[in-house]
Amino acid sequence: MYQTRPWQKVLRYFTIIIVSIMFFFPTYWMITMSFKPKGEWNSAAGTIYWVPQNPTLDNYKTVLTEYRGQFFRANQSSALPSIRSSIVVSIGGTLFALLIGTLAAYGISRHSTDTGDLPWYIAVGRLGLLVLVMLPFIVLWARLGILATWYGILTFTIIGIVADQIIGRVLGKYYKGAVGSLSFSILQLRMFPPMAILIPVMIMWSTFRLIDTWYGLVIVYGVVTFPFVVWLMKSFFDDIPKELDEAAVVDGSSNWRAFFKVVLPLAKGGLASTALFVFILNWSDFLVALLLTSRNWGTIPVFLNKLVSSEIGAQHGPKAALGLLAVIPPVVFGLLIQQYLVRGLTFGAIKK
Amino acid sequence: MASIKLDKLRKQFKEVLAVEGLNLDIEDGMFVAFLGPSGCGKTTTMNMIAGLEQPTSGDLYFDGKRMNDVPAGKRGVGFVFQNYAIFTHMTVYENVGFGLKVRGCPEVEMKREVGKIAELLELTPMLDWNAGKLSINDMQKVALGRSMITNPGIFLLDEPFSNLDASFRAYMRGELKRIQREIKQTMIYVTHDQVEAMSMADRIAVMYCGQLYQWGSPDDVYNRPVNAFVARFIGSPNMNFIECAYEVENGQGFLQQRKGGLRVPVDAKRRRLLEDRTGPNNLILGIRPEHMKVYQQPEPNALWQGTAYALEPLGPLTIAHTEVGGDRVQVKASGGYRTRPGDPQWVALDLEYIHIFDGETKLVIR
Repeated sequence: MYQTRPWQKVLRYFTIIIVSIMFFFPTYWMITMSFKPKGEWNSAAGTIYWVPQNPTLDNYKTVLTEYRGQFFRANQSSALPSIRSSIVVSIGGTLFALLIGTLAAYGISRHSTDTGDLPWYIAVGRLGLLVLVMLPFIVLWARLGILATWYGILTFTIIGIVADQIIGRVLGKYYKGAVGSLSFSILQLRMFPPMAILIPVMIMWSTFRLIDTWYGLVIVYGVVTFPFVVWLMKSFFDDIPKELDEAAVVDGSSNWRAFFKVVLPLAKGGLASTALFVFILNWSDFLVALLLTSRNWGTIPVFLNKLVSSEIGAQHGPKAALGLLAVIPPVVFGLLIQQYLVRGLTFGAIKK
Repeated sequence: MASIKLDKLRKQFKEVLAVEGLNLDIEDGMFVAFLGPSGCGKTTTMNMIAGLEQPTSGDLYFDGKRMNDVPAGKRGVGFVFQNYAIFTHMTVYENVGFGLKVRGCPEVEMKREVGKIAELLELTPMLDWNAGKLSINDMQKVALGRSMITNPGIFLLDEPFSNLDASFRAYMRGELKRIQREIKQTMIYVTHDQVEAMSMADRIAVMYCGQLYQWGSPDDVYNRPVNAFVARFIGSPNMNFIECAYEVENGQGFLQQRKGGLRVPVDAKRRRLLEDRTGPNNLILGIRPEHMKVYQQPEPNALWQGTAYALEPLGPLTIAHTEVGGDRVQVKASGGYRTRPGDPQWVALDLEYIHIFDGETKLVIR
């Protein structure tokens, strides 16, 4: 250790304090805001209210009930349906992604022999090829007028999957490595920005009447987070010696039993941290929920967006109150699995 | 109990040929060691016997019944892994009883069976412990117990003792021998340690690069190695090898050292073999350190004179490294033998025990 000079110490603490303020002030502001009456929300009157002068629970009442409070004349619906919706679709999407993702990850971890990284141009090139191959089909389907029918979507999807596999195989012949593997196809799902796929998904979902249903959202959340689950869980499974499942199999257990009784219990730390990660992704999603819901299954972020009234503009107080409530589930979830979390987050990171 | 027959068993991984046409007949109740350096295909062979790997071609029979398509859990095989593969999230009891539990064995019977095994392996006081908290030595015992509980006819052990400390390893070797005698299972023991193989096995399969080099009793592989590789691999310190050529002078056959002028006379039987042989006159003389003697004075029977190179005093014996005519040989001497580097030394060979190998094929000439 080198000697710290006094001015260095001062500088260090000064930096820490500044950064802390940058991070904690918004939280503080949100907490106090949720207790402020309407008049203290902004400084239009010339005063900034650092602390609530007349603390009130009106904001909470506003979002949790159909209470009109002191300031609304228009009928204000409560946030409870959106809270229910957020809980259902986030948990549903997380479970869906975990269920298929964990099984896929186990299969890839144990049976895939593909190793090595791919240079970015191979990865992007494969995706680009797929887009090129599929473009004529889009035009053709549009000409035939079946782009938004269930059979049009189904055939197009199947052609897409087949084309992707063919491209993978062909590239795999010329380029050694994981390019032709299933694990790469899964990773590829993440290469499109969500915005790019959402409009097509919206058309598909409306064709299949999945818009504004909880299962419609669960499917999208599950599929979007599925690659994360696969790649996180694969690294956790890789750390569990395969001799363990082999031992179980030799001793007479089935592959499924070996997985559920031996491998999965050992990976539960990884499973817990993956679950939390995916849950937070789903919980905080705005874009997907905004586009795929309307009246019934709008989630908390969508409802927050709607907290604007023509009379008084943005309703900062109720927004802060609901935002604070929305923080609770991830925090509780995190605390519940805390014992696994520290180990889980480092467990997969270090190779022996 | 079961006999095992491997018929042209072959395993090819993408570009690597791990096991090449392996033929073996293992009798019921035999203790067999697969011996060879790492990467020689022993573990792959074991995995194929256990059903963890499918052979690329060839057949596998237990008691004359073809096993290729029987799943691992139904073959009646116990497997102990090198890294134990202990289920660390279970107790010792749950670990040992695992095989019974998956077979739906009733709790009462399971308790009795686990108790018996625990008694045999001295694990009784630890049954309720979390298996992850055990010492390496006890983990190995749990792994043994877990494989034994279903009473498999065939017991496969993949370098089970390589992580144990030396004294416990020696103890476990004795224990394993005893257990095998008691339950009379067919055991296959994979090891790269020739001492383990020699001391425990009824039969040794020496493997190298996916091929079976020799299949015989410990006595066979030690005294009658089929090639220079087996000869070098078995025995410690290694057999000495000296490149030489066969020559005849005054009606007497000699092996003439290539690097120096040393000569070793050959007896009539070997002479006939060497004279019948065609091909380049390129031979390797092999002689074990224990079949040589080293002296500090000239001795009438000492064929070679050399210089002391180094000394390894091991207590009960000393290994004298000696340079003879450009080749370096190791000789086992008595524990009190002492010399300084550079001192002259005289080396006698027991001509009965020399091995002659073909310099090209490395096969023994016998």
